[in-house]
Amino acid sequence: MSALAARSARSWPGVLRLGVFGILVFALLASMLFAIGAGRFSVSAPRIVEILLTWLQNPGYAPEQMDERVVLLVRMPRVLLAALSGAALAVGGAALQGVFRNPLVSPQVLGISQGAAFGGALAILVGYSGVVLLGMAFFFGLAALVLVGALARIDGRTEVITVILSGMVIGALFAALVSIVQFVADPNTSLPAIVYWLMGSYSTATWARLGLAVPGLVLGLVMVFLFRYRLNLLALEETEARSLGVNPDRERWYVFIAISMMTGTSVAVAGIVGWIGLVVPHAARILVGEDHRALIPASALIGAAYLTFVDTLARTLTAAEIPLGVLTALIGAPVFGVLLRRHFKEANRA
Amino acid sequence: MTLNLCRNLKFKLDMQFIFERWARAHSRKEVSLSKLRKSVIGLAMVVGACATSMVMAEPITLVDQGGRTVTLQKPANRIASIPIPMASTIIAIDGSTSKLVGMNPTAKSAIVEGVLGTIFPEAKDIPSDITAPNFIPNIEELAATNPDLVIQWADYGSDLVDPITNAGLNVALISYGTEEKTRYYHEMVGKALGKPERVVEINGWRDAVAKEISEKAKAVPAEKRLNVLYLGRALTSLSASGNTGNYNAWQIELVGGINASDDVEGNGTTISPEQVAAWDPDVILLNSFEAELGVNRVYEDPILSLTKAAQNKKVYKMPLGGYRWDPPSQESPLSWMWLANLLHPDVFQYDLRAEMKRAFKSLYGYDLSDSEIDGILWMDMQGDATNYAQFKAK
Repeated sequence: MSALAARSARSWPGVLRLGVFGILVFALLASMLFAIGAGRFSVSAPRIVEILLTWLQNPGYAPEQMDERVVLLVRMPRVLLAALSGAALAVGGAALQGVFRNPLVSPQVLGISQGAAFGGALAILVGYSGVVLLGMAFFFGLAALVLVGALARIDGRTEVITVILSGMVIGALFAALVSIVQFVADPNTSLPAIVYWLMGSYSTATWARLGLAVPGLVLGLVMVFLFRYRLNLLALEETEARSLGVNPDRERWYVFIAISMMTGTSVAVAGIVGWIGLVVPHAARILVGEDHRALIPASALIGAAYLTFVDTLARTLTAAEIPLGVLTALIGAPVFGVLLRRHFKEANRA
Repeated sequence: MTLNLCRNLKFKLDMQFIFERWARAHSRKEVSLSKLRKSVIGLAMVVGACATSMVMAEPITLVDQGGRTVTLQKPANRIASIPIPMASTIIAIDGSTSKLVGMNPTAKSAIVEGVLGTIFPEAKDIPSDITAPNFIPNIEELAATNPDLVIQWADYGSDLVDPITNAGLNVALISYGTEEKTRYYHEMVGKALGKPERVVEINGWRDAVAKEISEKAKAVPAEKRLNVLYLGRALTSLSASGNTGNYNAWQIELVGGINASDDVEGNGTTISPEQVAAWDPDVILLNSFEAELGVNRVYEDPILSLTKAAQNKKVYKMPLGGYRWDPPSQESPLSWMWLANLLHPDVFQYDLRAEMKRAFKSLYGYDLSDSEIDGILWMDMQGDATNYAQFKAK
């Protein structure tokens, strides 16, 4: 009897969790469908369904009409890119918070975003875009990470606090380098391009660009997903983790590389889109709890749905593109403030 | 004695100036009585002004576009220009580079790489380290050029201005965006250089061409007014501008077109390709700022290539003359003629090549060659575009 009660007590959250994931998957699909349907160029709902069905039936389909091209060549890659980046940014934040046992850290903390931003700004300054920009953003994001690693490694060991402080140092360094790039940029040509790119936008999304971004984003997501159980161990106290046979140093670096891959790629294709990695994991924690096995996939789903939705707002509210980074910060900062207060209230009560 | 001499000299100059104006008016064969009367009244006023100003040792007083009063003891011989377009304007108003002692690095590269570099090869030796490209002045380099007058932007806050005045230098501020502002700062600089007659000529040309074009454009019926989209950036992301304070919108409407992006708030705002599809412009103008930007950017883009503009081969890159033709400059009337001829070839038939030759002669004292005109108009790239054959050399 008591065993049965125990089992049902254990399985109830399981059912609940399944329900939550069902709702999240539904929310993501709804958000993506809404994004494909909405836009400045008006295409009727039945026509969109027709276009999507034609496309799904013959994948090699080359659209000829303007409405087909808008849906298949402009909105589709943009929606997929926003969803994938949203998932990657959210998962990166969740993983980082687990590793640092601190719910307030984000990829900006390690200086990865700033490093990637410098690489991209430099590419624009010397007149490159596309693959070169992506490559340079990724390279300098990784370089920032390597520098942080080198700086934080003292006597063969790396403490969490030194990593955070080194990240701040390297981040500040690359932020200064970005300023230098802006300082020397031509105010007629490259400066506006750099400024708008840094503000973040998916307006240049194409299938080709999506193709460039997919490897980095998907590889990073898969790595963190496979590591989700390990993240629980890394979230333990350092000595406790060691006693469980985990090498926290090395495992942490696997996670860092995955995160820098996702951050560098997403910065390259859309500039710095902040706050996703901070707000989304918190929302996910409220829904599914602290266990990374559930937290990581939940963060991915919420992040994808959220960024898709915000990006749709950015491109449809006005004729002009509203910078995405501005919108995510406008929505993210107040939400985060509320979460923060609730977090500390609960902590005080406990 | 000296005062007398000076007065005589000034009187002679003024007389000459009025005579020139008179002669110009005469040559147009439409001298009206009122014009004659104006000239006489002007003459009387100048005589009066000369008499009073002589006593004051004639300092030059300007009200700049920041609303400040700037006083020069004598016409400026050494002007340093921090805003980009101003450098070539000073060269045009003075007719030489000798008064320009410092300029923005971006202005310098544009001059050296463009046709002005051929006309004024000595421009490459003018210092450009007086300012960073973003208009933050380097006070010591600026002071080292020993300028009588420094030109700076009025619109970017006092942090860009105060350090210059603090160093004891004379600053005049200019503002950008509309035709009125352009004419005003032309006058201001002409006055500062002691060459107001040059500006009467340059602004008079603007006025005459603008009036002529707007008069003819009025006759264009509403259904023949084309939607024209000017893309301020297009190499990677796209940007467009609304109507408020935007020179390109003004230019488009002057020649009887409609700014396709008039529902955009602000200037140089990022837009999505989908928005271009929704506007479906009849004509697309590409900026001359992005050197690598060509018309194929539009023809090879899956969305832009389906617009009416691309389908009808009405995609044009703005020419790059002594200065760029998209923002206001001393060459703006050429830009209006170019666009007017393109949009309404049935209404406007300017002989653009002849006008360019005339303008370059009068602005820079230079005889443009046919191949230089081809280069400015991008004939190689867009010679086959609709209505573009009219610009080919005969």
